Amino acid sequence: MGVFTKNHVMVTGGQAGPTVMLSHGFGCDQNLWRLVAPALAERFRVVLFDHVGSGRSDLSAWNPDRYGRLEGYAEDVLEICRELDAGPVVFVGHSVSAMIGALAAIAEPERFEGLVLLVPSPCYIDDGDYRGGFSREDIDELLETLDGNYLGWSSAMAPVIMGNPDRPELGEELEDSFCRTDPNIARVFARATFLSDNRADLPQVKVPAVVLECSQDVIAPTGVGAFVRDQIPDAGLVTLDAVGHCPQLSAPEATVQAISDFVTGLR
Amino acid sequence: MTFTSGHVHDAASSGEGFDEGNPGFTVPETAADLLDDNAEDLYDNAPCGYLSTYPDGQIAKVNKTLLGWLGRAREDLVGRLRFADLLTVGGKLYHETHLAPMLAVQGRLDGVALELRTADGGRLPVLVSSTVKYGRGGRPLLIRTTIFDATSRHSYERELLRVQREAEKARAEAEQARALAEVERARLQRVVTTLQRTLLPPTLSAPEGMEVSAYYHVASADQVGGDFYDVFPLSEGRWGFFLGDVCGKGADAAAVTSLVRYTLRAAAVYDPDPVAVLNNLNIVLNHEYNGDDPRFCTVVFGIITPASSGFTLGLAVGGHLDPLLLRADGTADYISTRGGLIVGVFPDPHFATTTVHLAPGDALLLYTDGLVEARVDGADGESDARYGDAALRDHTATLAPTTASDLVEGLTGLLTRFGDGLDDDTALLALSVPTPPERDDQ
Amino acid sequence: MTRTLTITATEVPSGTVLALAGDLHLHTAGQLRDILKKTDLDAGQQLIIDMKALDFCDSSGIAALVAAYRHAQKSRATLALTAPSARLARLLALSGLDRFLALYPTTAEAQAAWTPPSP
Repeated sequence: MGVFTKNHVMVTGGQAGPTVMLSHGFGCDQNLWRLVAPALAERFRVVLFDHVGSGRSDLSAWNPDRYGRLEGYAEDVLEICRELDAGPVVFVGHSVSAMIGALAAIAEPERFEGLVLLVPSPCYIDDGDYRGGFSREDIDELLETLDGNYLGWSSAMAPVIMGNPDRPELGEELEDSFCRTDPNIARVFARATFLSDNRADLPQVKVPAVVLECSQDVIAPTGVGAFVRDQIPDAGLVTLDAVGHCPQLSAPEATVQAISDFVTGLR
Repeated sequence: MTFTSGHVHDAASSGEGFDEGNPGFTVPETAADLLDDNAEDLYDNAPCGYLSTYPDGQIAKVNKTLLGWLGRAREDLVGRLRFADLLTVGGKLYHETHLAPMLAVQGRLDGVALELRTADGGRLPVLVSSTVKYGRGGRPLLIRTTIFDATSRHSYERELLRVQREAEKARAEAEQARALAEVERARLQRVVTTLQRTLLPPTLSAPEGMEVSAYYHVASADQVGGDFYDVFPLSEGRWGFFLGDVCGKGADAAAVTSLVRYTLRAAAVYDPDPVAVLNNLNIVLNHEYNGDDPRFCTVVFGIITPASSGFTLGLAVGGHLDPLLLRADGTADYISTRGGLIVGVFPDPHFATTTVHLAPGDALLLYTDGLVEARVDGADGESDARYGDAALRDHTATLAPTTASDLVEGLTGLLTRFGDGLDDDTALLALSVPTPPERDDQ
Repeated sequence: MTRTLTITATEVPSGTVLALAGDLHLHTAGQLRDILKKTDLDAGQQLIIDMKALDFCDSSGIAALVAAYRHAQKSRATLALTAPSARLARLLALSGLDRFLALYPTTAEAQAAWTPPSP
């Protein structure tokens, strides 16, 4: 099975421009990029994909050992890069994917022109002076909430086929899979996401990077963005005037601008 | 609808009190008043919580029911907190990673299970549904959220979840037990294989000028079969050989097989008369297994003595299938040994005896019943057809004249062709006298 | 062999009839031995094993028939096997047991051949 099927890889935009690879985080899938991908595709070649276990990836490729570690996802990213054979890419990683991209860039730096770390956090758990924002108990509570909602699977997370009169562009195919994952897979990904500590990896990132943080982020507390910038040798920090953890949804224009600026600045 | 923004609602709701008097005794001025009053009253005192938030999550409007559940004042919430702030930390993470993106993309959420944090530190399980109200150009204006108390559903779901986890645990344990059983079965099979090997002779010691060959087909990897055979030297230019079958299978049968083998060899040394050997075996078995679980065997026992040309075989047979003699002239016939009793059941048995001369080019075949009892496709659709004596004779006749090793090889091929039809252990023992080179041309 | 054996025991004036139906083999022979333990016979009585509905019998089955013979002998009763199939009759002949065990074509004939012990 090819990596394109395995990760449901979609390529849009020009063939010539720099390649921008958009990598979603824990919770949803590549549809998270739907408000920014078209604008980016006007200038760049855009690669979208689903992590194995999410969205329309091949669930038969999933196993708890490989996908219980961020390294497993990073290996998939490298596989996609190899398969694309498009030269170095600009990797845009949202949330946990920021660290997945960092791990991939450390392993094979020649495949990356630069990293856009969108609301990253190298460690979600508080540790000494470091403020990750959460405790181990909080993460357990998240796992419980996940379970609570997967129980009433058909009703609680049922696809909303009918009625989006204001947003007719939302197709049924999207709602079938968006943010819905097998509960076991979600638990394993949640653990890998929220219990990983990649702080020590950051200084080994040898490609240029930019950290995009939100002015008010419930998940990544203030200071984490600056921490990441300071740990990576060649990194900048841009604070988006956005609320929440998904600036590509809440502030798509500003997000597109920041990504474009970074890509342009590399050349 | 009146609650499109917090401002409008706040103005309206502050006008009419909800806690004063009984609305049933108030006489409405007009029908319009009635409708209007009831809409506001319903909003604030509905049996569910209502919450309106701006796209960034800031609370714009909240009803009294929800404030009551939370134990908080309106001014603490409106314009100060976001919806996610009302949730537990786990719920907040879930909101940011799942719900906010779903709302942004789908414009709607239905019946999501969350927990609200109340002012006194408690938790209230709720079911949350939200819809996004869009303005011109598809910009989201407001998120309207309905919240139901899900305390009873919550405990039900917790119980379901607990049961589900226990079932998962039980399944995992069963899987582990199955894996262990698999290991145990593999171990047992190794023991069985080893035991089976010890029950069969490592080498067959035939006299000079005689060729012997044997084959043992194991039907079940789990159970030791009861077939046995041997060819061994005795004193004064004599050799003994036997082939037989102990009733039953498994460890008990293996113990009998072992006893039979060693008794036959010892008895042959003690008195090399074939009938005496079987009489001795009969005494041993009859003595050992005289209760309500009788054990017996069927056996062909023979003494080989060299003759001027070839060998003379003195045979005693107890309840066993007739040996098959393949002559140098290409014929195959059974040696009739009927009348011999199975060994071990009665104190005063009779055994059939016969003497066979095995000339150069001749071969003698001993076999157990697995061979003739193999299931085959019967003629005329017979449902339970067996290979049978006649087919065996006809088949071996096509092989004759032959040598012990060629005969066994040919029959091994036959056993293989039986496939699943061969459901019993099968032992083959063949003795032959090679044709001298100068007689090759006959 | 995984097929089952059904045994029906009936008291008759001559003694007991055990009617076997199905397969008598390694895994079912124990059933017959167990029934025998519970079958009390008086001296001179007849134990009939009716094999009319018996489809299959292997060496373990033969051993159980020998057990029945011993059981009858212990009570100074007799054993009669009735209505064996052609294959079973051949098996009994091959084993030499046909000369020790009384065989009858039918249960009625076995009962007719029985003579009550003189008082």
